[in-house]
Amino acid sequence: MDDYQTEEESVEAAIGGNAYQHSRVNQWSTSVVEQCLSQLSKLGKPFKYIVTCIIMQKNGAGLQTASTCFWDNSTDGSCAVRWENKSMYCIVSVFGLAI
Amino acid sequence: MEEFHNGNEGSFNQEEVDNSIKECIESVVGGDDYSQSLVNKWTAGIVERCLTQLVKQGKPYKYIVTCAVMQKTGAGLHTANSCYWDTTMDGSCTVRWENRTMYCVVSVFAVAIA
Repeated sequence: MDDYQTEEESVEAAIGGNAYQHSRVNQWSTSVVEQCLSQLSKLGKPFKYIVTCIIMQKNGAGLQTASTCFWDNSTDGSCAVRWENKSMYCIVSVFGLAI
Repeated sequence: MEEFHNGNEGSFNQEEVDNSIKECIESVVGGDDYSQSLVNKWTAGIVERCLTQLVKQGKPYKYIVTCAVMQKTGAGLHTANSCYWDTTMDGSCTVRWENRTMYCVVSVFAVAIA
């Protein structure tokens, strides 16, 4: 799916080579969602989008995420990407709802 | 992200959804400690319950409910959302809940059906 690549690229571009830093994580998560969203809207398809991003420091904590959707199965869809480097995990989800 | 401001009576009621979500979380993980074997069941239970409550309201919306449960060990966690939609009709609500051993963040996105 195009979305998968778009998401991966956006994450890589925003936080690629960095180590987890409390003071910058706010800026990073905002940047990731904004870049994803602008790439998606550039695709010009008749969809509304929701992009969520979770960044977590690696220190042994357990993290579980779940999502459920009430929509039209034939036209709507979602895509989740899990990315990590040495010091943090990043999970980005995109939900696309047909207009 | 910014709060959703909405003057329209018949559309997304943030406060009501907020309370509804809190109840759902409490009923699923209320008195429990973080458990790796149960967390899967909890997140699934929370999103399902929230969605059922929302659908019961019978409003003309599509819903997306997400839930993240994290063990408290001192790790940093940050979440962000961005939405490309109709700001007059659509809305979202995020609830952050915690107890002694875990954090729970639930987000609800409501998208109006034309």
